[in-house]
Amino acid sequence: MKLKNIYQPLFALLLLLSASFMGCKKDFPVDEDGLLITARAECFVSNFELLGADFITVRAKPVVIDTTAQTVNVEVLFGTDLKNVYPQFSLASDCKLDPKITGKTDLSDLSNPKVYTVVSGNRLVRKPYTVIIKYQ
Amino acid sequence: MRTPSFKHLVLVFFTAAIFLAGCQKEEYKIPDPVSDLTNDAIKRSLGPNIVSQTIEFAYAMALPKEKGKLVLAEVEASIAGASGTFLQNNSFTTGGAGQDVPVLVGEPSVNKDNRTSVTFNVDTNAATLRYFYVIPEEARGKTVSFTFSATASNGSKVTYKLGPYNISKMDIKRLIAVSNNNNAYISIEDMAVYNATSAVGVAGKIDLVYLFRTTPSAFLHGLVSPAADPIYLPGVTLPAGVNRSSKVRREFGVQDRNLANLQFGIYVDDRDFQEIQLANSPNYAIGLRAEASTWVETADGKYRAYIYVNAVSTASGGSAVISILRYAL
Repeated sequence: MKLKNIYQPLFALLLLLSASFMGCKKDFPVDEDGLLITARAECFVSNFELLGADFITVRAKPVVIDTTAQTVNVEVLFGTDLKNVYPQFSLASDCKLDPKITGKTDLSDLSNPKVYTVVSGNRLVRKPYTVIIKYQ
Repeated sequence: MRTPSFKHLVLVFFTAAIFLAGCQKEEYKIPDPVSDLTNDAIKRSLGPNIVSQTIEFAYAMALPKEKGKLVLAEVEASIAGASGTFLQNNSFTTGGAGQDVPVLVGEPSVNKDNRTSVTFNVDTNAATLRYFYVIPEEARGKTVSFTFSATASNGSKVTYKLGPYNISKMDIKRLIAVSNNNNAYISIEDMAVYNATSAVGVAGKIDLVYLFRTTPSAFLHGLVSPAADPIYLPGVTLPAGVNRSSKVRREFGVQDRNLANLQFGIYVDDRDFQEIQLANSPNYAIGLRAEASTWVETADGKYRAYIYVNAVSTASGGSAVISILRYAL
């Protein structure tokens, strides 16, 4: 077989391959963060932790989460520097938090408690949770 | 398709032959025996090189017995070592329990300018001497290099270079005793602690107050800026003029090996001080305990410090032992 004659079938094969790749579109819906949108409608905070700048908990007592009133009540140790804390939320399956927690957070304005919205797995239910902090 | 020609087959065969020939193992050759004086050196100490601390090296030298014996070992530092720099006049063997057993091989070392030397006084053709370089003040923030050399009785001489090593800008002060209501006023600039009376004379340099309180329960041992909210200075009457506000961050995960009496495997280095962000930190740290530490930045922005708590005691009103690494910005 002459070398020249190889090009034609090779080209055809390449076209076929590229066409088949184009056909591999994902069927699963994802949100703007690239997270999977599921069928779940559950939307609540299941646990909450607050760490200081030294990564040690600053909680003085167990956290009280009220899923009806949508509040997270935290009592922190005397002397806690609330300008530099790391809040950690545990959420129901497939949920996400808005705004996102990206690192050290300032929760020192006790008169204006911060509100975090929990978004359900199907991204249709949104529940705002208020984080109420008081000192020991 | 045509059947491959004879020419093609020959070509493939030769290519394969070349590949196979390339994979032949090289015969192991016994290295040449050492025919003259040779030497080697290693740095034994780890961590940042801090002024007043020691860098330790081991310098080995040997020559065949029939060629002669060792006469002189010498180290030249690019910056003369501080008082206490010496080249040990012992070689070492390993004892039955794995311990170092010294063997005296030379006269005590002599320091002249930036050279330290040992003259051998026994007939030996191999030795490993340890060199202890005490980092001088003039080396702060610079680099230091070392040239080790050995001379044999047949006149041959070898040298071995090590370095350059960066010398840290940090200062170190270990084991400062602080006590509640007494020696409680800490100055980072002086790396010292004062009582209420002596603190008046250096009021502008006092950065932190040590206190111990059992209530509230989260308080315990604390390092608090004089200018902190009075709720963090309960029952404290500050000496006149003591009013600075330092940035303080408590830390539980960092224990510097130099300050922690060679426990732990972490070293705080210049770079930590250069990169740490303390601008948004509070001006107090409470709830301290043994093996905790704090990062501090002084109010005038001249110094950053790392204070390690070596020990705490609740007896007689509360006390602690602290150690300080300080970095001038």
